[in-house]
Amino acid sequence: MSLQDELKAQIVKRLPELDVVIGWGQGYDSLHRTPLFITSEADVDKLVFDPLCVHNLSTYLTRYGSAKRIGVVVKGCDSRSVVELLQEKLIHRDKVMVFGLPCEGVADLGKVKRALAAKDLDMGRVRAASFADGDLVVTVSGQEIRLPMAEVQADKCGRCRYHNAVIHDEFAGQPITEAAPDTYADVAAFEEQTLEERMEFWREQMERCVRCYACRNACPLCVCRDYCIGQSREPNWVSQRDGLEEKFFFQMIHATHLAGRCTECGECERACPVDIPLLLLKRKLGKEILELFDYRAGTDPDAKPPLLNFKVQEDTINERGW
Amino acid sequence: MKIGVFVCHCGSNIAGTVDVVQVAEAAKSMPEVAFAKDTMYACSEPGQQGIIDAIKEMGLDGAVVASCTPRMHGSTFMRTVARAGLNPYMFEMANIREHVSWIGKDKVANTRKAIDLVRMAVAKLAQNKPLYSQSFSINKRVMIIGGGVAGIQAALDCADGGLQVVLVEKTTTIGGKMAKLDKTFPTVDCSSCILGPRMVDVAQHPNITLHASAEVDEVFGYVGNYQVEVRKKATYVNWKTCTGCGACMEKCPSKKSKDPFNELIGTTTAINIPFPQAIPKRASIDRDSCIKFKTGKCGICAKVCPTKAIDYDQQDEMITEEVGAIIAATGFDLMDWHVYGQYGAGRYPDVITSLQYERMLSASGPTGGHIKRPSDKKEPKTIVFIQCVGSRDKSVGRPYCTGFCCMYTAKQAILTKDHIPDSESYVFYMDIRAPGKMYDEFTRRAMEEYGAKYIRGRVSMVYPQDGKMIVRGVDTLAGAQVEVEADLVVLAVGAEGAAGSAQLAEKLRISYDSYGFFMEGHPKLKPVETNTAGVYLAGCAQGPKDIPSSVAQGSAAAAKVLSLFSKDQLQSDPQVSKVDLKRCVGCMKCAITCPFGAIKETEVRGEIKAQVIETICQGCGICTSTCRQGAIQLQNFTDNQILAEVNALLSSETEEA
Amino acid sequence: MDKELRIVGFLCNWCSYGGADTAGVGRFVQPTDLRIIRMPCSGRIDPLFVLKTLIGGADGVLVSGCHPRDCHYAEGNYYARRRLEVLKRFLPIIGIDPGRFEYTWVSASEGQRWQHVVTSFTNQIHALGPVQRIGRQSLAKACSLGTVLEPLA
Repeated sequence: MSLQDELKAQIVKRLPELDVVIGWGQGYDSLHRTPLFITSEADVDKLVFDPLCVHNLSTYLTRYGSAKRIGVVVKGCDSRSVVELLQEKLIHRDKVMVFGLPCEGVADLGKVKRALAAKDLDMGRVRAASFADGDLVVTVSGQEIRLPMAEVQADKCGRCRYHNAVIHDEFAGQPITEAAPDTYADVAAFEEQTLEERMEFWREQMERCVRCYACRNACPLCVCRDYCIGQSREPNWVSQRDGLEEKFFFQMIHATHLAGRCTECGECERACPVDIPLLLLKRKLGKEILELFDYRAGTDPDAKPPLLNFKVQEDTINERGW
Repeated sequence: MKIGVFVCHCGSNIAGTVDVVQVAEAAKSMPEVAFAKDTMYACSEPGQQGIIDAIKEMGLDGAVVASCTPRMHGSTFMRTVARAGLNPYMFEMANIREHVSWIGKDKVANTRKAIDLVRMAVAKLAQNKPLYSQSFSINKRVMIIGGGVAGIQAALDCADGGLQVVLVEKTTTIGGKMAKLDKTFPTVDCSSCILGPRMVDVAQHPNITLHASAEVDEVFGYVGNYQVEVRKKATYVNWKTCTGCGACMEKCPSKKSKDPFNELIGTTTAINIPFPQAIPKRASIDRDSCIKFKTGKCGICAKVCPTKAIDYDQQDEMITEEVGAIIAATGFDLMDWHVYGQYGAGRYPDVITSLQYERMLSASGPTGGHIKRPSDKKEPKTIVFIQCVGSRDKSVGRPYCTGFCCMYTAKQAILTKDHIPDSESYVFYMDIRAPGKMYDEFTRRAMEEYGAKYIRGRVSMVYPQDGKMIVRGVDTLAGAQVEVEADLVVLAVGAEGAAGSAQLAEKLRISYDSYGFFMEGHPKLKPVETNTAGVYLAGCAQGPKDIPSSVAQGSAAAAKVLSLFSKDQLQSDPQVSKVDLKRCVGCMKCAITCPFGAIKETEVRGEIKAQVIETICQGCGICTSTCRQGAIQLQNFTDNQILAEVNALLSSETEEA
Repeated sequence: MDKELRIVGFLCNWCSYGGADTAGVGRFVQPTDLRIIRMPCSGRIDPLFVLKTLIGGADGVLVSGCHPRDCHYAEGNYYARRRLEVLKRFLPIIGIDPGRFEYTWVSASEGQRWQHVVTSFTNQIHALGPVQRIGRQSLAKACSLGTVLEPLA
């Protein structure tokens, strides 16, 4: 039985206990998948799982209120968001059923688009997509193009430590045993630039921000929704003026509010319509928190997160003799 | 909004280095400012009247006073504003004296800075809202935790003052460490002779309820209205019927039980009353050594008990006491002296602690008041006292001086000579710390009248040889190595907070240091208060101290409680956090970080929300900076109020550029 | 000293604000750049206040609270220490010199220490110079483009 069929069978079996199961379905074209909300056995047939299933579906878990019982299909990275939500008591274990999966990595459609463009091909004209021998095989403008997954895979997958769902009630397929080390090489590389260059970089990036809040809405941990302080008057942290400082500060809110919570799923960056590398800000925080507190968010539902905790004498904080 | 700004000259204190007229002039053009004026002394009677008149005449909604620090006159001017009919929180202060005029001589820079500070205060005031305090009633009962001499003193003073007192003692008798002492310095009077009557007073006082063999399990509530859950630990003897006759002790066949009252020198019976003067004088069974509990057979005590008080099936009992204030007087324990391997601590029977020695000196102790060394029960002739074992020693993490060891060592040297006239005492010391009435004279007597040989220096090691303990150390005054062949070595072990004090501090929500001592509200000015309203400290729980100091603190804590209870109603501070229910997502992170347990979960239309218990909230605002939605806002320090200050300051810079 | 820079201090009411008062009472002369905002506790300080101030154009931000173990509210400075340390380490990624932000502990009795802290921090900020304000820069850039174009016209 294929992994996808095994998953379908598990959902069919557990569906009677649940109000809805969130999975992935076919999107508007052959390269896109879209969230699928399964409420009947007939819906289960529409379920898809392949490396194009990029969305972190745990984002939807906090939108149902506490009365509903919800099933959610998660990859390794997505499952950490579930753990984090559980830890923060934003969802309750008995109201959530986790269908865990192993995942070897998902495709980055931005990379696919660029790879096709390099061959003078338009991603919008892709008519079919499939996977064979570690390649993404697409039919575009009458040609069959093989793109090695290693080249079009999302960056986060190349440094993934958690290929398998870290929490699950059902697990389909065989767990993947290897895990890549994450040395935060991207952060280090970025920080080889001077401070002025870095600020200039962000200036250019943030200039493009349209404050559409897609980054926030895609984030599974941005649970404030309509009450985000990036938009409110009471408190009024940031005005609606369309200036660089306002855009920049909004991203500071997003980043600092995820300090010690972000599981680095990268949905903010994926959702950004103007391709601002937002994950870099969060990974910087993730790196510092790992170094300071030896803590990775979304790995232990019972952990006390470092910023809600303290030691009378901190081992790692050098107060610099001020 | 109509804001009035009053810029104080403070004589020449401010006007000397700040152009106050220019500051007032600049304030006139600030947003919402309807009136601005300089004034000679804002805090003086005419100064305050000027503010009141301006508020009334101009119909102002709030006032900014630019003068000294709000820590000095903030409350003065809040009352002024209130006298003018405004809410006292419609007031802000700009500190242009301590933070401006007194620290810089450049009048231009100072004036610019003063204008900025006024601008910030005005911007904040524009965001202020009237706040109102609530009155709540006080439950005029007090709980005292710990029945040592400090707790006893506090209990008696409170009870004599007419309060209902609940005294909770962990062990089966009150008396604490003082009850274990033979004599007290510097008078060498009998410890139990002075403490005993006080213990009896506690037992007989109509206002005191004593729970011995009991511990605080949980603490809920706030000043004036605490609910304390007390666990009365099973003693397996019904204390209502036990008369303390001691028949059970005589007949108990298990005579090798540990005897904590005698500091584990000697043994006792599995069912016992720790000492003859115990209060309450009731027996209890040590489960670990009782044959009935270990094998199921025996039951002799039940057979001999004339009142049938023995109850092997007794369980811990939980009771809830409602009180308005709590005094923590949990005392101290000796630090773990076994870390001193070089002194053979714990390995050699003839190396003992000073408290063990004290039990030997006591006529009611396990040796009947005869000094006998533990190894062979012989009378020692040469006794070495080593001071500062676990005091002033960073290498074992005890940098502080326990403070009373110098004195009791001198006392023990004197008593040794009284018990064994042909004995010789040696005292290794670092410095003699004997400040206090008749204290230094007392240590001199130990040396001069009683011939104790004081050697200034540390001991490097203690080891056994031919039935003696060889004490090797240095005499730093003579600059020589010394070796003493001792029969008995007594270590003056330093004090630390009593076992379990950290856990109790967490329950009481008071701070404690890494040695288990509770933190007072202010090291000088609030020695018996804590930062939790309604919780007070007495005795060694706050830090090592001798008997007179412990008694003084017991009385001081009692006075604090009596003064708190002198009112029928308390006013809550309105500067507390407030939850915006629609913004709250019920993650309860605020409750995790609240140091006071002032935030509880509540259900609003099926969703979890945070709720602030206003009387517990102390107004720190940690919750506000924890909440990502900005749903919980500390009143008078809301995000918007602070942001208004930040924005006012940053925009002023823009104008300049 | 050169032109005054914009330095903002967030001080807890109980210790550091009192320490600054003590410094004033003792007439310990200090540079005049600093503007102090009084907070109830260092634990009240949301790191976003610091970011808001820095991004809004301040040249330096100084936070000061009670020494660890001495917090008036028992634990506020412990939370502050973790939050502010993370913030300080975060600043370089957005191109802000971490030296523009310091946090420190000064008690109400330490007037002289406060003088030292203010003086050293002010010197440190002057050494770093005025900040390149993130929003202002785009305006400056547009202007500089103008000057490049000018000779062509």
